[in-house]
Amino acid sequence: MEMEKKFGVYLCKGCGIAEMINFESLTKVIKKEGKIQHIKEHDILCSPDARAMIMEDLKPEGEAINALVIAACSPRVKYEELDFPNCLVERCNIREQVAWTQPPGAEETQALAEDYLRMSCARIKKTDLPEPYQTECDKTIMVIGGGMAGLSAALEAANNGYQVLLVEKEAELGGYGAKMYKSTPSSYPYTTLQEPAVFKKIQEVNSQPNIRVMTSAEIVTIDGQPGLLDATIKVGEDEEVIRVGSIVLAAGWKPYDAGKLEHLGYGVSKNVITNIEMEELAKKGKIVRPSDGKAPERVAFIQCAGSRDPNHLPYCSDFCCSASLKQALYVRQSNPEAVAMILYKDIRTPGQMELFYKQVQSDPGVMLTKAEVTGVAVTAGDKLLISATNTLLGDNVAFEADLVVLATGLVPRTVDEPILNLTYRQGPGLPNLELFNGFADSNFICFPYETRRTGVYAAGCVHQPMTMAMAAEDGVGAACKAIQAVEHVAAGMAVHPRAWDETFPDPFMQRCTSCKRCTEECPFGAIEEDEKGTPFFKINRCRRCATCMGACPERIVFFKDLNVDILGSAIKAVDVPEIEDEDDPEFPVRIIGLICENDALPALDAAAVHRLKINPTIRFLSLRCLGSFAMEWIKIALNNGVDGMILLGCKYGDDYQCHFAKGSELCAYRLTKLSETLDKLGLEADRVQQFQIAISDFDKLPQMLDDFVARVREIGPNPFKGL
Amino acid sequence: MAGETVIKPDLQFINRVIAAGGDTVKQCYQCDTCSVVCNPTPDSKPFPRKEMLRAQWGLKDVVKDPDIWLCHQCSDCTVYCPRGAKPGEVMNVLRKLCIETYATPSILAQMVGDYKFLPLLIALPVLLLALALKITGHWGIPEGPIVYSHFFPTLLIDAIFVPAFFFAVAVLGKGVLAYWKDINRDNPWRVKVGGNLVGNLIATLKDILMHNRFRECETTYNRSTNHLFVLFGFIFLAVVTSWGFLNEWALHVESPYFLLSPIKLLAMAGTAALLYGIFNIIKERQANAEKVGYGSYYDWFLIYVIFVVGATGLLAWLFRLVGIKILAYPTYFLHLTAVFMLFFYAPYTKMAHMVYRTVAMLWARMADRGF
Repeated sequence: MEMEKKFGVYLCKGCGIAEMINFESLTKVIKKEGKIQHIKEHDILCSPDARAMIMEDLKPEGEAINALVIAACSPRVKYEELDFPNCLVERCNIREQVAWTQPPGAEETQALAEDYLRMSCARIKKTDLPEPYQTECDKTIMVIGGGMAGLSAALEAANNGYQVLLVEKEAELGGYGAKMYKSTPSSYPYTTLQEPAVFKKIQEVNSQPNIRVMTSAEIVTIDGQPGLLDATIKVGEDEEVIRVGSIVLAAGWKPYDAGKLEHLGYGVSKNVITNIEMEELAKKGKIVRPSDGKAPERVAFIQCAGSRDPNHLPYCSDFCCSASLKQALYVRQSNPEAVAMILYKDIRTPGQMELFYKQVQSDPGVMLTKAEVTGVAVTAGDKLLISATNTLLGDNVAFEADLVVLATGLVPRTVDEPILNLTYRQGPGLPNLELFNGFADSNFICFPYETRRTGVYAAGCVHQPMTMAMAAEDGVGAACKAIQAVEHVAAGMAVHPRAWDETFPDPFMQRCTSCKRCTEECPFGAIEEDEKGTPFFKINRCRRCATCMGACPERIVFFKDLNVDILGSAIKAVDVPEIEDEDDPEFPVRIIGLICENDALPALDAAAVHRLKINPTIRFLSLRCLGSFAMEWIKIALNNGVDGMILLGCKYGDDYQCHFAKGSELCAYRLTKLSETLDKLGLEADRVQQFQIAISDFDKLPQMLDDFVARVREIGPNPFKGL
Repeated sequence: MAGETVIKPDLQFINRVIAAGGDTVKQCYQCDTCSVVCNPTPDSKPFPRKEMLRAQWGLKDVVKDPDIWLCHQCSDCTVYCPRGAKPGEVMNVLRKLCIETYATPSILAQMVGDYKFLPLLIALPVLLLALALKITGHWGIPEGPIVYSHFFPTLLIDAIFVPAFFFAVAVLGKGVLAYWKDINRDNPWRVKVGGNLVGNLIATLKDILMHNRFRECETTYNRSTNHLFVLFGFIFLAVVTSWGFLNEWALHVESPYFLLSPIKLLAMAGTAALLYGIFNIIKERQANAEKVGYGSYYDWFLIYVIFVVGATGLLAWLFRLVGIKILAYPTYFLHLTAVFMLFFYAPYTKMAHMVYRTVAMLWARMADRGF
């Protein structure tokens, strides 16, 4: 639907803007160069009064304005006040990026404001209103794994009115939660052991009509895209294809292989067991030594057995400290004359478990000390001697015990199984989990359940090591995300992080060369190929980062409000002053700053809130992600006489902060190719540089920018200027 | 590994600590705040954290650690303890168990620490004294003015109290020698003991008389003053007793003495100091109970025995002066009972601290632990 656009520019004079900028000459620029004649000013553009003024202009019988440039504050604020239904709105940030960061009355300040208006005017002319991409959408939530997290997720979704398919590979629901003898307390005063809470959840699940439970079930494949996922599930010999909308991955964990802990006596003596085996012993009844069936008088628990150890699991498994405290009580209850010795690196009892720790510690027969266990040996009397250094009882001590329990940690199921068995081109599982020791985790710090596959949300110990109570909460969180996913898909919006976004990539396929860069680079596996190798989008998997747009050498990926040309036009609109004296070191520099909207833009806003001075020669344009960076823009900028380009994106690497996982890394990769091209043109590679910045680095921004501008000045003016 | 210390927790020991008033011992989570806030503790291997730890682990050798005696229970640790583990109280219990360990027979020490045996412990001197009177034919209230030696002949008193005193000295001596041997041999925090014994002992006694270390306490600073009153009360009364003994057997001066005679004045000063000190101890212990703990039966046994000794001594004297026979003689009998309990039970009660603490302080001084 191509609409007839009628443009209007609305200038805000509030928040100190009017004191900094000459509105008369700004208006001239908008009319003459921006080619928009309908211009209105208001003292407070976000006020109801101003809104009424604008709404009047929008009336079809009146001015019928439907494409508005709002020159006011950052697009990150006042988005409700300055949003107008069925209209294009281009926010031109002259408050944070001009009024709050520039000196008043300076020539450069005015030039900066005028450039921002030129850019916005150029941009809105090429932008169109998005039409949401809507498909048929099944809102069933599939939960993989029937442990605590999965049960909790299933109940949350079902209780909110969604159909749930709960798939469990074992014959019974409950996971490890059901294998325990007792569980740690889950309610105040957190002092007494209780029946595992998982049984109550199983009952609730079984009596919830919205949940279909499939046990002894295996996921053969999952095909399609959120809202339209076809899961092939095998039970025994029967396969069934079930359509679901989104997935909670709660596949759980397995214990770390104690066979690798021979140095702690496992496999050497029968009386060295794991915490899982201890749980089984307790469930059977009395705690006895496997070697002779006698009740042990001294039981030693070795914490972090194979955990927080670079040779084994580098991480803390979170539950083992509470589990050993609990099992120490098993020992005490089984034989009141027995003592339990807990040898720890640090006791870690997150949350309210601290109260349980206090309770167990106060038992006369439970002893605790910090210790670095160096070995476990069997003595003549069939006892075990645990040698340790760095204990609170001395640096060279040994603990005599009848039974040793190794508090082994957990390993996520996803460490060596794809579980999901997706039919995606990029593979059956979740990518790059080696960064997270195999956990289905991510660095999406603001979006804790997200995975690199849209519509798949991790919960429980497959997500992170956690205790039962936390797994229950995690299930709820992941279920909420899964619901969000199907609802957004149904509404034709991006799921996250651009949860409001109705635009989507719409490639001009006639020009596609099937080079497959987009299919390779899409961080979310949203692009598939047909038999001929031609890529096609699975839009519901897409997060709208536009990495495909940056990747495409043919520049054929279009969004209604973003494509290479739209941003190129904005770059072209920048007014580059002519240079009178080539050798003047103070020549008027012009720099384009392409900045990520997720961290760099907020950092810039934060600098403005702190009234830090930002170099006035840089014109910033925000991108969804640096992953969308197209090389074409450099060409456009340099042809326009711009002297340099700075790219500000998120941290990349193993501890990346990129909201789209790979964007800033891909951008950096593309820039390595660029320097060759620049060299060929006789241009210095330093004119285009990428920096990594976090939102909290806002105070470092002014220096970073000044340094870059100084470097460009050092190189000298762009030789193509004025050509 | 060679030379490693084998840790074998003893649940019985922990239960003893708990039963004796150290019920908070398991609360400790070893943060070390106690050792940091403690003023008298040495810089290296400070107490009371390590003692707390060994006690909660049931390592019963902790009672042989001389550091438990370097603690004067200021209770700074107890006040600052984030977990309410009351290290001050636990250290006190460990001292009790130390006394118990070195006392012969140990069972008597256990009886002294257990309120159930109190009637028996009182009955013993009462019966003994009554029996002595009966056998020697002195049972009954004598005619004439009140003269206590007419009621209870001095010879008879000496015949009972001198052996009782030497019994106590012998038991304490035996215990303290064994203790001295142990701390020099077994102590895991053993350091080379140096210096000459006599010189160091004199310095230690001087420390004790001045209460130099005791006065480093903050939370219960007044305890040192009160304790000093009691100590000097005892010293004065000991001088008076020796003087009386001399009067009786060497100079043949008969009691009661002239009211303003030097011996009488010294006795009055001693009694006043004793009563003033012990009264304040009782008062402040009650006032501080919430903050630092009420103390255990073992503390209160000694406090009340001392109080009764002082109070009955004073009352017996007053009753004699005003001439109330019917009150004077029974009070005097009570006084003798209390004095017997004080002396005879000394190796088993908190009273024994005067030798164990002195020895531990001597050892600490010689081992260069914070002196």
